[in-house]
Amino acid sequence: MKRRTLLISAAVGPFMPAIATVVEAQSPEASPVGGVATATPGQEVNMMLLPKFLGISVFDQANEGAQEAHGELQNPGKLDFVGPTADNSVAGQIDFVTNAPAGGYDVVMLSNNSGDQIDPAAEAAVAGGTQIVTWDSPIPSGKGESLFVAQVDFDETGKVMADMALDILGEEGGKFAILSASPDAANQNAWIASMEKILAEPEYANLELLDTVYGNDESEESYNQALALIDKYPEMQLIMAPTSVGIVSAAKALQDEGLCDSVKVSGLGDPHEMTSYLENGCAPEFALWSFVDLGYTTYYASYLIATGAIQGVAGESFEAGRMGTYTIEEDPTRPDTGALRIVMGPFSIYNADNPGV
Amino acid sequence: MRATDWKRYLRRWEFLLFVCLVVVVIYNSVNVSNFLTAQNQVNLLQLSIEKAIVALIMTFVIICGEIDLSVASMMGLSASVVARLHESGWNMALAVLAALAVGLGFGVLNGFFVAKVGINSLAVTLAGYIGFRGLAEVFIEDNSIGDFPSWFTKMGQDGIIGPITFSILLFVIMAVVATVILHFSGFGRQIYAIGSNARVAVFSGVPVARTRIIIFAASGLISALAGVLYAARLGAVRASTAQGFELDIITIVLLGGVSIFGGIGSMVGVLLSILLVLNIRNGMTIAGITGNTQTGVIGLLLIFSVLIPNLAARAQGRLLRPPVDPQFQAPRVETTAQNAG
Repeated sequence: MKRRTLLISAAVGPFMPAIATVVEAQSPEASPVGGVATATPGQEVNMMLLPKFLGISVFDQANEGAQEAHGELQNPGKLDFVGPTADNSVAGQIDFVTNAPAGGYDVVMLSNNSGDQIDPAAEAAVAGGTQIVTWDSPIPSGKGESLFVAQVDFDETGKVMADMALDILGEEGGKFAILSASPDAANQNAWIASMEKILAEPEYANLELLDTVYGNDESEESYNQALALIDKYPEMQLIMAPTSVGIVSAAKALQDEGLCDSVKVSGLGDPHEMTSYLENGCAPEFALWSFVDLGYTTYYASYLIATGAIQGVAGESFEAGRMGTYTIEEDPTRPDTGALRIVMGPFSIYNADNPGV
Repeated sequence: MRATDWKRYLRRWEFLLFVCLVVVVIYNSVNVSNFLTAQNQVNLLQLSIEKAIVALIMTFVIICGEIDLSVASMMGLSASVVARLHESGWNMALAVLAALAVGLGFGVLNGFFVAKVGINSLAVTLAGYIGFRGLAEVFIEDNSIGDFPSWFTKMGQDGIIGPITFSILLFVIMAVVATVILHFSGFGRQIYAIGSNARVAVFSGVPVARTRIIIFAASGLISALAGVLYAARLGAVRASTAQGFELDIITIVLLGGVSIFGGIGSMVGVLLSILLVLNIRNGMTIAGITGNTQTGVIGLLLIFSVLIPNLAARAQGRLLRPPVDPQFQAPRVETTAQNAG
């Protein structure tokens, strides 16, 4: 437990190897702060896995992981993978969260795409007996949220993206633009903010951010936004897309325009969707974490909270099946909110040496 | 006599909707333990209340023989106006009034082009559909604007009478007023007259142009109001706010038995249709059915609601010729189709 906590707090670099420090469970029952809580299988917890919207492969992978944990814990309750349509994401998520208590759900596992617009619905759901555990994208204010299962440290994401930009552009740096998901996406907004912060450091002085645009995680819109960037900034050398939809669309746009020699794409991408762009050099390097693991870890954390094995307070440790032990901490990327998180990690960097498939 | 009255009653579309509603409510109550709680019933209305409000005025528009495709874009535009003005330091109440004025103004403009210039409302409001959304995008760009004053978001989210929100209360009042105007006023009769046959209406001395302008102006104003309420409920606005709502709204109205060719329909039918659609959606959401499937189910409902009356009319036309019961509404669909052409 200690080792893991130390690793996290030391803010290790982006190329941290996949270390899952499994600590033997010290007590099988619910444990106070200091012990490691483990899940007792077979308890009934009704779960809803609510991604930003359906039809995104990485969210399907998160569902795979959640289903794996669901089977492992022999939960007799239901695990429903539901979500709104892409064009109705904000209101749709509010609908699902609002209706969750009536649907008998004990926990909603939410990848928030509604910014703080979800707050009233989340608080009402908690009052109605449904707990909210976020993953992938938290509730910025932390309101109504028991815990955020962070895929990686959000401040680290900015550094990873800046490092990849330097890797691709070389020491002399260059000009780039960001193609993000939606302006309400808490995770992407935090990553962009952390990248902007880190660009101020002398190490990254040669990187110049031209613009940030949004493709709303829709392929066509992202594609068009990438084309618009190409037209608007002929001097641009790189598009950084911190979204698995945006990065594919941007790479396809550059490939279709035959511009992959002069403009590169990087960001956060699913290696299965990026194979051809990695091979043809459009996207020489990008990063991601395992969404299967994220869904799996989130399920364990939610199950433990719903069964009362952990209370969801800072300092508590719990074991999340094959993923090892995690310790809940205050989320430093959301200061003054009292919001809590665990950090899963690590980043995997994909490039010619490590295509990931 | 009594027997035929009873049969006529059974054949009415509204009765069918009522039966469907009862079935859905019973089904939901049996399968979902918390369905009949006050909170869920309020949630059910509250989560779609803006569409329900616009469906009221859309009923007038369609009965009048027109269509307004620009309602959802107007909702987005008015929400954007409120958000943009608030962000630039305007008083929130003034920003709301400005948004309503924008809605009224563009509504009058829509009405002018339809009634005075004589362009088909499908074309005019299609332009609005694109144009209003475009304006919203100009105002908001790629941003998400929120941080509204707390009275504004409270208006959209908190109950004022128990759990009943301002929007729900407003909807109930507007539904009563709309029913009275449509069914118990001269203005309402004029709308039916225009929708049944505009040329006849003109010769009968009905102020056709004026009525059409009023209807479109009201459509713009009420859509703008719904947009403001939606902004208050969500607490933030994007340029894409309310995108795609027009189809849901038109679906509700057509499912309510309002003929797309005009002249036929009732407020009772539309209100039943609103409750039916919301109950089906609520039941599906609670049962954990995804957004895509929900859209599909509502789409199927619309197909049936448009096809069944037409097919029934044809079948009846072959079997019994001439139709025995002039009150049966399905054959009227065909006669109005000729009027529209």
